[in-house]
Amino acid sequence: MDTSKPAIFVNGALLPMHVRKRVRTVIQVVGADRGAIVGKSPDDLQLVVKGSPPSAPLSNFVEVIGIADSEKSIQAEIWTNFGEVFDTHSYNQLCQLANGEYQHLFL
Amino acid sequence: MPVNLTPNAIATINDGDVNLKPLVQVLDIKQMGSAQERFRLLVSDSVLTQHAMLGTQLNDRVKTGLVKKGSIIQLIDYICSQVQKRKIIVVLNLETIIPDCEIIGNPKMVSDAPAQNALPNTNSMLLSTVGYNNLSSQSHGSNMHSIRPALSSQSHDGNMQSFRPTSSTQNQGGKMHTFQPALGAQNYGNDVQSFRPTVQPPYQPPPSYRNHGAVMKNEAPARIIPINALNPYQGRWAIKARITAKGDLRRYNNARGDGKVFSFDLLDSDGGEIRVTCFNAVVDRFYDAVEVGKVYLISKGSLKPAQKNFNHLKNDWEIFLEATSTVDLCPEEDGSIPQQQFSFKPISEIESAENNSIFDVIGIVISVNPSVPILRKNGMETQRRILNLKDGSGWTIELTLWGDFCNKEGQKLQEMLFINPDIPEAHAVKDWFDRGGCDVASMSISRDIVQGGPKNEARKTVSQIKHEGLGRSDKPDWATVRASISFIKTDTFCYTACPLMIGDRQCNKKVTRSGNSRWQCDRCNQEFDECDYRYLLQIQIQDHTGLTWVTAFQESGEEILGYPAKELYLLKYESNDTRFADIIRSRLFYQYLFRLKIKEEMYGDEQRVKITIFKADKVSYSSESRYMLDLISKVHAH
Repeated sequence: MDTSKPAIFVNGALLPMHVRKRVRTVIQVVGADRGAIVGKSPDDLQLVVKGSPPSAPLSNFVEVIGIADSEKSIQAEIWTNFGEVFDTHSYNQLCQLANGEYQHLFL
Repeated sequence: MPVNLTPNAIATINDGDVNLKPLVQVLDIKQMGSAQERFRLLVSDSVLTQHAMLGTQLNDRVKTGLVKKGSIIQLIDYICSQVQKRKIIVVLNLETIIPDCEIIGNPKMVSDAPAQNALPNTNSMLLSTVGYNNLSSQSHGSNMHSIRPALSSQSHDGNMQSFRPTSSTQNQGGKMHTFQPALGAQNYGNDVQSFRPTVQPPYQPPPSYRNHGAVMKNEAPARIIPINALNPYQGRWAIKARITAKGDLRRYNNARGDGKVFSFDLLDSDGGEIRVTCFNAVVDRFYDAVEVGKVYLISKGSLKPAQKNFNHLKNDWEIFLEATSTVDLCPEEDGSIPQQQFSFKPISEIESAENNSIFDVIGIVISVNPSVPILRKNGMETQRRILNLKDGSGWTIELTLWGDFCNKEGQKLQEMLFINPDIPEAHAVKDWFDRGGCDVASMSISRDIVQGGPKNEARKTVSQIKHEGLGRSDKPDWATVRASISFIKTDTFCYTACPLMIGDRQCNKKVTRSGNSRWQCDRCNQEFDECDYRYLLQIQIQDHTGLTWVTAFQESGEEILGYPAKELYLLKYESNDTRFADIIRSRLFYQYLFRLKIKEEMYGDEQRVKITIFKADKVSYSSESRYMLDLISKVHAH
C-alpha cells in the first residue's frame, strides 16, 4: 500500500466532506456518460468517475482512488477491478469507521 | 387457650384407625433420609408418643415453621404402617392448630405393648380360638392381631423389649419361644398388667374380614391417596391415575437368565406422576390390560427408588407391580386428571443441558429423513429415522427415532410423541410458525458449526487455547479459530481403512496387508482386494497470536486439501509426487475458520492437549467482515 499518498475511505454521503482531497471508494458500475463512468456508491448514491479507465474491461465492482473534484465526482488515478460480487454493506460500514471515532487509526 | 389433645389417639391409630382426625402435639422433629428429604415427627396424645413420618408433600410445613416442636396439629389423612418391625404413622395431611405450645401431660415413648394392652383381656381368648398364634410365637401373642389389619401383625418384640419397663420383662423373650401359643399369650397378659394404661380405644373402624383359615386380612379397599404421597413406608395404598404413556415390551438377558419388562407412566388429579414397572409373569397379566389415556385404580405394588437415568418423571419412587397387585380400570372418565403433563423447554436451552437429561420439547417438524437400518452394538439390526424440529427459539434440533417408531404412521406414534396435540403450547408454536416462523432462518444445535451464533460460537485465538487451558475439564471444549495453515505434515497423511459397511456406516477401521495383495480387517474379520484411504492429517495452524498443531480426520482433511485421500496417496506414491507437493503447497497460508475440538488426553503417562479439526471452512471475507464490524460496534458500546 502506498502510504505516501493516503486516500480517505468514502461513500457517497461522505464524499462532499473531502472535496479536493485524495479519496478511495468502490462503485458498482452502472454505465458510461460522455467519457466518464457512472456508478453507484456503497450507500447507493450515484457517483461520476472521470479519468481514463484501464484498457481491460471493468468488472461489476471497481475500486477507484483519486481526487474528489466535486461533491459527486472523483477524478480517478487508479482503477482496480474488484470482481462481480462485493459486500457493499461492510464496505459502507468501513467508510463510516474511517470517518468517525476511529479516524485516527486510518491513514 | 387450653387445649385437650385427643385422648388415646396414639393407641387408636396404632389399632388401625384412620378416621379419628385427632389432635396431637409434636414433641420432636428429625430429618431423615439421604436420597430424599423426609421428616419424622414424634407426636404425643399427652399420654403416649409415637413416631410419624410426614409425606414429602408436607415437608414445607416443617421448613416454613408451620409445624415445629410444641405445635398442636390435627392429623387429617394418615395411616399406621409397619416399617422394620416398628409401627409408624404415615401422615399424608395435617393442619396446624396451635403453632407453639408447652408440652402437655407427661407422655411416654410408646411401645407396642401398652397399645395392645389397652384392649380388653378377653381378647386373649379370641386369640387361642382362632388358632392364629401358631405362627406368632415370636410375636408374643399380640391379642390385637385378630382384630387388626394384617399390616400390623407380627413381631413387635424387638421394639417392645427395648421400651418395656424392666420390672415386667425379664423372662418374656425367653419364654415366648418355648410356651405354647395360647399359654404364651396369657402369660404375656399377666406380665404387662402392671403398666397397662387405662385407655380404651374410643372407636374401632369396622375392617372387613374374610376368613382364610389361619391368617386374616383386611379386605376393605385401601384408601386412594395422591401419587405424591406414596412412599415405601405405607402398607396399603391405592392410587387413581391416568396412564399417560406405555412403553414397549422389552426382553432382556442377564446373569439370571431371560426376562421381559415393560413400564407405563401414571398421572393423577394432583399432578403427581410415577412410573410403574412390571417384570416377567406380571407383564403377561398387565401388558394388554393397560391402555394409554384411561384411568385406573392401582394398588398393592411395591415402591422402589426411581431409576433416574431412564425415568424422567418428577418422582423419587417407582412402583413395581407384583402378582398380588391390582390394576382396575375406572369405567367412568375422570376429568380432573389431565391427559398429559408437559414441561416444555425451548430447543435453544437443550445445548446447555447435561448429557442424558430428559426433556419435553414441542416444535414443528421441518424435515423427515428416510429411515435406515442400523447395526446395534449387540449385532441386532434396528431402524433409525431422523427428523428435524424447529421452535420459536430460532433453533432446530435433530430428533432421532429408533426401532418401531420409525415406521409407525401418524397418530399411532402417540405413545411418547404427540402429533398435533390439542394443547395451548401446540397452538402457540403452530401460530408462531404460520405467522412467519417458518421463514425465520434457524440454526441447528445438532450439527456443524454455527457461524455467528450466540452460544455455539466461542471465537478464540490460537494463544487463548493454551492460556485459557481449554480441554482440561472433563468435557471437550469447542472453539472457532480463524487461522492460516502454515505447515502440513506429509510423511503419513492418511491411513488404510476398511471399506465395508456396518449398517449405514463404513467400518473405517485400520486394515493391514494380509499376504501379498489383500487387506484384512480385524473388526469385520474379512479380507478384500482394495482398501479405502482416509485422512489423518497433522497440520500447523497459525494466527497473529501463535501457532499450534492440530489433527484433521477424513471429512475436514478433504475440506482442506480438496481431494479424496486416496487420490493424493496415489499421486504421492505411484504417479506424480511433484504434483502432490504442489497441491500441498497450494493450501499453505490460506485462511480458514476452524471449528476445533480440544481435549486433554493421556499418551502413555503424559497428558497432552489434543486438538482436532471438526470442520474447516475457507474464510468468507464478507461474513468475516461483518463479524468483525459487529465486534467493533460492541467495543464502541462499552
